[in-house]
Parts: sequence; structure tokens; C-alpha cells
Amino acid sequence: MILLQSPSRFLLQILNDRLLSQDKGVDIDCQTVEFDDVRYHIQVSMRNPKVLVLSVALPLPPQEAVSFDGLPFGAIEAIKAAYGPVVQILDPPKDGFDLTLKINLAKLPSEEEQKNAILVHIASIREVVLGAPLKVFLKNLSMKIVGPEAGQPVALVHRPNESFFVIPQADRVIVIYPMRFQDSIDIVLATSFLQEFVEARRTAALNNAPTCMWSQSPPPELKGAPGSALSANAGFVTFVVNPRHVEGKKLDRTVWNLLTFHAYVSYHVKCSEGFMHTRMRRRVDTLIQALDRAKSDAEKLQKLVTGPSFKKMSMKDERERR
Amino acid sequence: MDPTCRPAVIFDNGTGYSKLGFAGNSEPSFILPTVVGVNDSFLKNLRQTDANDNSNWLAQYNAGVMADLDFMIGDEALTRSGGIYSLDRPIRNSQVENWDTLEKFWQQSIYNYLRCDPEEHYFLLTDSPVTTPESREYMGEIMFETFNVPGLYIAVQSMLTLAAGYSTPKSDMTGVVVDIGDSAPQVVPVVNGYVIGSSMKSFPISGNDVTRFILQLLQERGELIPPEDSMETARKIKELYCYSCTDIVKIFFNPEIYCTDFTTALPDLIDKCVQSSPIDTRRALYKNIVLAGGGTMFKDFYRRLQNSVKKIVDDRIAANTARLGLDVKPQPVEVNVASNPIQGYAAWFGGSVVASLPEFCDRVVPKEYEVKAGNRAY
Amino acid sequence: MANSLRLYLTCIRNTLEAAMCLQNFPCQEVERHNKPEVELKTSPELLLNPVLICRNEAEKCLIETSINSIRISMKVKQSDELENILAKKFLRFLSMRAEAFQVLRRKPVQGYDISFLITNYHCEEMHKHKLIDFIVQFMEDIDKEISELKLSVNTRGRLVATEFLKQFI
Repeated sequence: MILLQSPSRFLLQILNDRLLSQDKGVDIDCQTVEFDDVRYHIQVSMRNPKVLVLSVALPLPPQEAVSFDGLPFGAIEAIKAAYGPVVQILDPPKDGFDLTLKINLAKLPSEEEQKNAILVHIASIREVVLGAPLKVFLKNLSMKIVGPEAGQPVALVHRPNESFFVIPQADRVIVIYPMRFQDSIDIVLATSFLQEFVEARRTAALNNAPTCMWSQSPPPELKGAPGSALSANAGFVTFVVNPRHVEGKKLDRTVWNLLTFHAYVSYHVKCSEGFMHTRMRRRVDTLIQALDRAKSDAEKLQKLVTGPSFKKMSMKDERERR
Repeated sequence: MDPTCRPAVIFDNGTGYSKLGFAGNSEPSFILPTVVGVNDSFLKNLRQTDANDNSNWLAQYNAGVMADLDFMIGDEALTRSGGIYSLDRPIRNSQVENWDTLEKFWQQSIYNYLRCDPEEHYFLLTDSPVTTPESREYMGEIMFETFNVPGLYIAVQSMLTLAAGYSTPKSDMTGVVVDIGDSAPQVVPVVNGYVIGSSMKSFPISGNDVTRFILQLLQERGELIPPEDSMETARKIKELYCYSCTDIVKIFFNPEIYCTDFTTALPDLIDKCVQSSPIDTRRALYKNIVLAGGGTMFKDFYRRLQNSVKKIVDDRIAANTARLGLDVKPQPVEVNVASNPIQGYAAWFGGSVVASLPEFCDRVVPKEYEVKAGNRAY
Repeated sequence: MANSLRLYLTCIRNTLEAAMCLQNFPCQEVERHNKPEVELKTSPELLLNPVLICRNEAEKCLIETSINSIRISMKVKQSDELENILAKKFLRFLSMRAEAFQVLRRKPVQGYDISFLITNYHCEEMHKHKLIDFIVQFMEDIDKEISELKLSVNTRGRLVATEFLKQFI
């Protein structure tokens, strides 16, 4: 897996299970936490097996990010537009959550393909809610609408207490990420990865991708943003999104990719550390072989005759002994 | 960003299936076969070019990195095996055999299945009572160094099974855990939360052998099954149609029908295990025999086991009374076999219970400690 | 560069061949004890002058010899931050497995990245020249592994970036 997928596997699995055994009344009450502190709580009661209650908690927004009742702006409209009659928003949300939805499986379209599409869409609730404001800006870009915020950096939450910045302009949208990592090794690896983004963009094949920049210090566009938002231990990444990146079907994909940029980098930093372990294990094996070659034949022979003094007993040996 | 306010992640990686989920839930979020499909086409290329020359090492590098990300786990791996993907089971007989693929398995479990950020949760992993300390060290190394987990707790599966609390005397950590998974079944006596290693017994017939036995029966009947699907078919038959009191379960009670070199039946083995434990714990152990693992899910398995063990114990008491010519009747020994629909993932559930306790946060090995103490941390 | 590494390693090999003359020597202070004198450093008459071989400022190898043991410590090249963390990671990984290596010291001597401690017993068990082969191969491999790891970080970064940016086209 190289790219992060938008629908949550767990939600999709529960939705599909529910649909398969619709009439069987089972109580479900479970929680799950996704990256960036997005939490889900799903409840199904025996009495009404066709209704799922899904509560979603979003990452805590930092001061500079604007939110309405804990939700990013445009989220309510986005939910209504995305799911139609299948999903109903409950107000107030469940205690400890920012949003509670009632999903009525009976109202799903009967046509199989449509039904699946909407289920996948429900499992992507995170993209719909958190990505709502970004989507508004990008949509304006594709329709060449200049909003009142033009030229001003807008902070949008993407991780708990962390935001990224969007600067909408008439012909492009600039997206800037302050990149922060906890672990010192991660910081170094991520920094080197981020520089590769800039390098990769320069290759001919990616000429049409958004322009990408990386700098150790905050870019000038962020002048005026609060100081706490401008400290980043792995530098700042800037993407310049043009109308061609948000045409038609590309819009949703762009929203998701920009929304989870930090998670994407972090995931690959971890993968590369895993890969290093694989390589190092291989290297240790060859080195141990080299050391074994140094052992004199006399000693090896002795080992063969007497055997090691404490032999580890495996299950197989035990079986043979009986 | 405090991991204590988020549920811990519980991984129970068994030989056959892995159970993944969050503490506090009553079921794992995912149960998938512990199998990794790796793309090793690049390795083959590597060997070929090694013979020639190392001229295009850069291309190899790219291919290697690509292949490193090109793998899948669980059912996806099973359905897409063959071709450029080769299957690897990182855990065999409850022991980790291949750390490379286990690390990959965890990577996908975290990022593709649970989709959580490992830096934000405590982790609870399980290991079998026969795991070596080195193996725990390596688990810690991967968890802390690759995934940067803030804290880790490695628990023994048998203990978690008792902690699951479906056995009769609640929260008393004494009992015999009969764990039959895909690997060799183990009979593990636990007293007050400590495993009595010297009395542990293992039974050579595992879930896998049951599958093989079914296959054998199928072949004898002359069923026509394509050989490449045969194991899979037999496994499905086992999981869907095997009830106790048919021939299948007999192999736990009469192992000689499957393999001739091992003739101790499971009830005898449990009895032997308890008899070799300290004398003052035996009554408590008989009272709490707990089943765990998918291999115990056969219908009425527990009732049959309970009756057999009870019979062995009663016979012995009767024989002793007769031999010694006692007048007073000894107090009868209570034999209880505990069973529960969740026993398929009992260890996972126990983990979920343990990790929800407020004390759990104090018991995890924090990252800072691991860094300082190195491999002495566990 | 590769050439200078060859010279450096040859120099280490020659020094080791000369320095690795170890014999059994029971401890002078405690009866029936046998301790590596190079670690104890209590009796100056049993120690030889240490030899320091430097390839450059960042890479050096210290060889300390005594009557019954020899200690080889090295500092690995770390020209930038990435190499620094990769070296740290790899050496930590190795010291976790010190048990398997027998001659590897769990903790490096201060100021160095990794240390070996070879006693006369190791020399009796193993062929001396092959042991030296091992030490030299070890140094060579560390060097190679760190540059390959660095390369793999860069390749992976490029791949990851390309896949991400492709999404927008």
C-alpha cells in the first residue's frame, strides 16, 4: 500500500456486515480511533437493527483554526449533500463527540452499485467533514469564484492542535504545511523525504503536478499567522494548486490527498524504518556467518560431538522424546 | 497528545489468525489470517544480476523499494497469492519465524486496517508461554524503533485468557488454560497469575492437523478437489461443519486415529498437567479449566472434555479410597471446563480487559525506559 | 574515496596482525580470576601503547592492546545528519545482538561508536587471521550499509513523492 485510502476499513466492514444480516438483531457498541485523533463510535441496538448511530470526534482544533460548534465550516452542508436521506444529523451530538449521525440502512438505494458507492462514501465520513472547508476553496478555484478570503491565509485543522494553511487566490490555491514530528529520527528522515518532493516535481513527468516547495523557515505568505503555528521541526511544505488539479473527478482525490499529507509522510517514514530493519537483519546474518567462518574446525568438531550443553527443547523434540 | 486518554491497541498474533483491535471493545476490529504476501520478484532479479555484475544497482534499488511497499496481508494475501506474490507465515507453532514479514504484517495492521497513528497509542502484544526473551526483545525493538509507540506491554496469552474473566471464579488468576489454535495446543497451568512452566504440556495435534485429517478423510472418500485448493476447502469444512461427537473431535480424545506415535488423549494430558503442579493448587486448577483458541470451538467440545476429566479424577479417587481402605469419603474434586462464545479470541478479549484497567498505564514499558535500558527492559 | 578506504582497512589489518598476540594471563589481584587486562587497566606493565589509525577526522580506529586482550574501537563516518542517525540506528541494532557476535562489546568505549573486545580465549577458539578478516569485513560492511541505507532513504523519498504528486495529474 503506497497511498492512504479514504474510506475507513473498519466502518465499511461494519456497514457491510450490518447489511448482510439486516434482520438479525445484534447489539453493537464499539469505538475506534484513526490517525490524527479522529474517533468513531458506532452503536446498533437490537430493537432497531436497520439504524446505525455513528458518532465522530474530530481532532481538537488549534486556536487559529476557525470552527463552528466544533465542526469545520461547511461540514453540515457537505454531509447533507453527500448522503441525502440515508443520513440524518442528530443535534446535539453524543457527549464527547463532535458529530452524531443516524444512518438508516432501509433508505439505501436498492441498486447494488449505488448502494455500495454510498456505503464507501459513509466510510469516508472523515474526508467529507474535515475536508469540507478545503473542498469549498478548491471548488471555488475550479469555478473561478473569488471568495472574500482571497489572499489571506486560512488555518484549517488536520491534526490535533495543528493546522495547515490555505491561501485562496483567483487563479490558484496555495497550501502550506508546517511539518512537525515527535521523534528525532523521524524529523531527519521526513526532512529528507520532503526535499525529494521538490526534486521529484522537477522531473519532466511531473511537470503538471502542483508546484512544490520546502523551506526550513515559514514562507512569506504566512506573515501574520500566530507564532505557535509557525514553529515546525521539519520545515514547511508549500503546494500551489491550479485549476487543472481540481477539475471534475479530481477534486475529491485532491481534497483527500491534501488533507492527509502529513499522515502520508509519517506513514512512509515508518515504512522506511521498517525497511531498514529488514536490511540490517540481513547484514547481521552475513556478519555472523563471517564470524562463524573464523571458528576453528577443531571447535566445530567438538560441538558436533558433544552438542551444546543446554539444548533448547522445541516442541518437536519433546514430541519425539515421548 | 497523551496516549493515556486513548484506547490501547491490542494485537494478538496467533499462528493461524491475528486479532487486532482497541481496548474497551468487546470484539477485535479485525480477525485476519497471519499471512503476508510479499513481492519477491525483485529478489530473484537481484540474484540474477548478482551473478552478472552489479552494473544497474540503482534500478535494483528502485525495484527493491517498490517491492518493499508492494505486499498485502490477511485474506487479501491469500486471494492474490501466486504470480509475483509469495506467501509467508511469519509465525509458526506460536513462535515468530520471520521478523521481516511480521514487521510488515504489523505495518499493514496499523496503517491499513486499524488506520491509527502508533505514536498516539499504547500497545499490548501477546506472546505464547514458550516465547524466548530474545523474541520479546525483538518485538520491543520493532515497536519502539519502527513505530515509535509511546509504551508497550507484552502479555502471555494464557494469562490474558484467564483475565478475560468468563471462567467461573471471577478475577482469580488461577486455572488451566487449554489453548488450541492453529499451532500445537498447549495446556498451561496458571496459579495466581504466574505460569507454572514446568507443568506445561503440549499436545501434538493442532487445528492444522484437524484440517489435514479432514483432508485425509476427503481423499479416502475420493472427493475430487483441485489439489491447490484442498487445504483451504478442508479448513472451511472444519470451520463450518465440524461438531463435537463426530469423528473429527475424536482426534483430541483418541489421537491414535490420526497419528500412531502419540496416544495420550487431551483429557489425560490435562490431568497430567494438574497432577504435576504443586499439590495445594490442584483443586483450584481442576475447578477452572478454560478453553481458548479457535480449535476449541467445536460444539459440545467443553462438555465432553469436562466429563472425561471428571471421570479420570473420580476414578483415581475411587481407586485410592479402595486401595487404602478408607472409611471416610474424601471431598469430591470439582471439575469445571469453562467455555464461552468468545473463546475464539479469548486472549484478545483478555487484553482488551487488561488494557482498560486504570493500572495499565503504569504497567506499560514506556519508550524512554526502553531507550535507556535497551534489551533489559522486558 | 574507495581507494582511501582500502588503504585505511589495510592499515588496520596490518596493525591487528601485529597486535593480536594474546596469551592466557590470570589476574594478578584476585586469585583464580582471569580478566581482560585492557578493560581493567590496573597494571600498567601489562598494557601496550594504544594505536590510533585515522582515515580522516571523523573516521578513526583505536586499537588498545594488553597481554591477554585487545580492544578495538571505531568511529564511523557521519558526514551529515542523515548518516548520523543511520549510523546510530545500525550500531544500536548491532549492540542489541552483541550476544550473537561474541567479540562485540555491548557498550562502545567513550568517544567511539562501536567496540570489540577480543580475549585470548577467542583467539584460541577461532583462527586469528579469520578473526581479523571478520573485523575488517565488519568495518567495510558498516560503511557500505550506511551508504546504502542513505541511498534507500533518498530513493524511497523520491518514490513516495512521485506517487503523491502523480495523484494530481
